[in-house]
Amino acid sequence: MTEEAPKQQYSEQQRNSIFHDEFMPHISSMYNFAYRLTMDGDDAKDLLQDTYLKAYRFIESFQQGTNAKAWLFRILKNSFINDYRKKSKEPSKVDYQDVESFYNSDDVDRQITPDLRVEALQDMIGDEISDALNSLDVDFKTVIILADLEEFKYDEMARILDIPIGTVRSRLHRARNLLKEKLSEYAKKMGYKNA
Amino acid sequence: MNPDQSKMKQDCANKVECMEMLQLIIDGEATTAQKEHFLTHHLEGCLPCYKNYHLELKIRELLKTNCCGGQVPSDLVNAIKSKINSVG
Repeated sequence: MTEEAPKQQYSEQQRNSIFHDEFMPHISSMYNFAYRLTMDGDDAKDLLQDTYLKAYRFIESFQQGTNAKAWLFRILKNSFINDYRKKSKEPSKVDYQDVESFYNSDDVDRQITPDLRVEALQDMIGDEISDALNSLDVDFKTVIILADLEEFKYDEMARILDIPIGTVRSRLHRARNLLKEKLSEYAKKMGYKNA
Repeated sequence: MNPDQSKMKQDCANKVECMEMLQLIIDGEATTAQKEHFLTHHLEGCLPCYKNYHLELKIRELLKTNCCGGQVPSDLVNAIKSKINSVG
């Protein structure tokens, strides 16, 4: 929660207007993020509620005019790691730190791009895409959500995740390859021999 | 838009660099010059990169169409608002 920005002084009226005008409009994206992290409706609700209450409590760390959505996503991600990750129904098998050492190995540049074709994707109904995303380890799922669904820039993702930009890029690269592997498996099941 | 694939290079000599550039372009992080060079000078002549680029675009489009939705439960929005009102 400790952001670099100096603490702001807001009146109660300003606090309420920031909360309603700058924070609440992102609730839909935030709920989607919370749901895909926890994979449980009740946990997602609790996580979202905790995040918004924290955002209000620490509103003076938020500088008006900066990216409210990135600020909120960072709080949600931190709350998830601190409070929910342990009790999540699908606990992550690996830790952030463990994964990082893996990224730094030569394996990152391994070209594992599966021979997945656009035609195979076109026949998929939405469930396969959503299932493939959900099946990824939470660290990989997170970067796909931030980059592809929410269109955050690399520097914003680096701040949300507290990792260097280089790590954002390599993690994203790996995540996309894993997603393609998963989609390729589905395509094969659907009868695309070379998918 | 649809170049003659038989006239394209069937293998790319710079796969790793091209994948990196492709990712920068997809993510809107490439400079105009990088984008211009890759999309107009390389992509139309290189089959693997051409296919990869369109595959990445398609996956991104499908992700946005299928994974963004989800209605926020209305009781949740109200619960958050009333909690804020009680602490604020």
